[in-house]
Amino acid sequence: MADRDTSTDAHKHSVFEELLSPSELFEARSRSHKIPVRGQKDFLPNGSEQQRARLQQSLDEHWTLLAEERVERLGNLVKAVWIPDERLVELQSPAGKFWQTMGFSERGKQYLRPEEALYLMECGNVQVFYRDLPLSIQEGYERFLSHETVTLHQYQVFGHLKRLGYVVNRFDPSSVPSTYERQLNLPASSWDKQRKQLKRKRSQSPVSSDKQNPSPVEKTTTEDQSEELVNASESPAGQTAPDPSLEESMQSADASDRTWWMEEDVQPPSAQSQSAAPRWDFSSISFPDLGSRRSRSVSLESPDPSLLPGALEVGGCDLSPWLRRLNVKQEKLSQRDRERQRERDRYHRDINSDREVRHCRNWAEYLQLVEDRRRRSQKDKPVHLWENEVTPLTQPGQCNSHRELLDQISIIKSSSLPEGVSSLSASDQWTISFDVYQPDTVAEFKKSQPGKPYTHMCVCSFDGPVPDLHALKQLSYQSGDVPVTFAVVDHGDISFYCFKDFKLPTDSY
Amino acid sequence: MEVNEDMDTKSESEHQPSKDALIDISFCGSTPLLWKVSDMKRCRSAGVIGALVGSLARQPRQNVRLGRPLELLQEEALLLEETSTAAASLQTQDCGDEEVHLEAVRQYEAGLESSYKEQCALALEDKKTVLRRIMDEKENGTDDSGNAIRDRLNALDQAFRFPLPAMAVQLHTARAGFSHCPEERSFHSTDWPVPRDERLNTRFCVYRDLRHKGFYLTSAGKFGGDFLVYPGDPLRFHAHFIALCISMDEELPLSDILAIARLGSNVKKTVLLCSPRSRSETEKDESVEGDVVYSSLQWSSMV
Repeated sequence: MADRDTSTDAHKHSVFEELLSPSELFEARSRSHKIPVRGQKDFLPNGSEQQRARLQQSLDEHWTLLAEERVERLGNLVKAVWIPDERLVELQSPAGKFWQTMGFSERGKQYLRPEEALYLMECGNVQVFYRDLPLSIQEGYERFLSHETVTLHQYQVFGHLKRLGYVVNRFDPSSVPSTYERQLNLPASSWDKQRKQLKRKRSQSPVSSDKQNPSPVEKTTTEDQSEELVNASESPAGQTAPDPSLEESMQSADASDRTWWMEEDVQPPSAQSQSAAPRWDFSSISFPDLGSRRSRSVSLESPDPSLLPGALEVGGCDLSPWLRRLNVKQEKLSQRDRERQRERDRYHRDINSDREVRHCRNWAEYLQLVEDRRRRSQKDKPVHLWENEVTPLTQPGQCNSHRELLDQISIIKSSSLPEGVSSLSASDQWTISFDVYQPDTVAEFKKSQPGKPYTHMCVCSFDGPVPDLHALKQLSYQSGDVPVTFAVVDHGDISFYCFKDFKLPTDSY
Repeated sequence: MEVNEDMDTKSESEHQPSKDALIDISFCGSTPLLWKVSDMKRCRSAGVIGALVGSLARQPRQNVRLGRPLELLQEEALLLEETSTAAASLQTQDCGDEEVHLEAVRQYEAGLESSYKEQCALALEDKKTVLRRIMDEKENGTDDSGNAIRDRLNALDQAFRFPLPAMAVQLHTARAGFSHCPEERSFHSTDWPVPRDERLNTRFCVYRDLRHKGFYLTSAGKFGGDFLVYPGDPLRFHAHFIALCISMDEELPLSDILAIARLGSNVKKTVLLCSPRSRSETEKDESVEGDVVYSSLQWSSMV
């Protein structure tokens, strides 16, 4: 190893020879900013002088471009400091134009995430200091990129997208609203801000998703309907199994509501009305049909006081305000629509016009009727087909359309991507790294309200495994209704892939 | 197959590891990177190309041409280390000695100060030159404006202001060495941050063999293979082959062979299946150079 005497400037010049002298720095103001265009390539080397000369010229151009160091006016540089404990870069002079899409404020100070700071260092906008000495880009790569912050591959994807103009943020799983929440389209409430706060402090760990709240069920018959809706929206819609405490409160609340729905001729079995019973007998409860044109009831009677808990006084319910909210107008169809409907209904048999079906008072009776009919019709079926263990999937005349037929004979049910996701375990290998927003939205981009991202980026490499169905399901679930793009890094080259859900057509129209 | 002239220079540099300082490979995670242009030049003369992955200093906001650092393939880094041309530099620790660090800060600030003074002087000279040139041009015309400019020129020494924010500073790409802590280097292959599994060994054998035959190689992930093989420098020539490295006893399904043959014919490159043939007895030294067997795929028409 060469003897390292680091005390003289001259030696520094030879060892770290990329130091520019002040005159060089001064001359750098008038540098060209154009990149030379590369010419056509040749097919075979033939040892000719012309080829050698061209190669040398290309190489010289190449080295000139690479050797050029970044020289900036001190006034244009934003000064910043690297804080290793927090793994953040704190700005010490006012931020420039980049503040519109990058960085965040906290406790009165402005911060940049390590990948953003490194990118800005490469662009020549920010000069980051550590212990009063400026960091070179090499030191930036070594210090800022790690498994806890952002890996080299992820940074390469980040840089690539930023150079194209996209706005790229780190992905935070808890900030993905579920489809239900998006449907409700709530304005940013204080709850949202609280979530963003958590997002800043621990940007990689998800917020705990089992937020308990008092009223889990939307009730349409109580006065404070709007309040209930807001409370219900706070609980993440992705919960599959309510825990016991929620279920109990649901039952006690519904015990009183149930009585609203009883029609006068059907008395509830007194056993179920006591709140101690954990299970209801749905077969004995009939729900009023307010929407169908056949129902004539305009009001519901007051329930039997013996069914109500405690000393509750409940009067009759007037249904007319509710009926008014329902649109029970006859649909007026155009001539073409009416024709189309006639075509569709040509072979349509209304199940309710069947007298026997009308006699059924609940589902159990109806299913019984269907079963009886089936057994009756079985008598004229060929024995050798239907009495063995293996029976045909469908009968002639049973189906009216291709789709029904295909449904009947499809033993392998087709599934869609979101199915069965809740039972999947989280995978460490496949995680979404970034939110990406489109470049043309930069003008109106607001860091506090970024809106729905254009896509979510998942970074992987050609050396690693191809994403399997488990990973795809889990990632698309985690991503909500935003598409997921895979950025595959191959030694500096980045390719983008995405998977699209596709439904095979099942019917012909 | 042609032998490049570069072979000669390479064998020369192989015999002088002690004269020149070794190339510095710094690892970011498990990826080897080169930062200094002199290192990159020496690498390229040894036939190692690498890929640029950083922003270009001249135009950072585009993806057409990238700049430093140069990312090396694992095989490239191994070859450089094997031929004693390079050594991995370990992560630098923070300078523990407070005195040394403060001295470094003092030196840095002194450097800035002197640079500022020099740039002031240069700017002043520059302005004077500009004014003199204007004056010369005006001499040919009317005299009045010439006088005004002469007055300005004479007053320049007092009136000239070069504010500190106007000073040009350099943002270093490679490590600038401000802090005086010596860099630690690792010279043992056992300290190599990447474990050598069988796949890496296979690829490395193929890489080394093709490199010795004078070809230039780069990564070929997008082409479904391991390496793209160029007859000359990739700056000037197109690749001829896509090399796929398979160990001798590995089984490859026919569908994979068909897929890569199709791909190769689409991009007009010949597909090479490469397998290192290890010498039978030696198993302890994995880097023993056996022969590498090459097979190329070609659609043959039977009409």
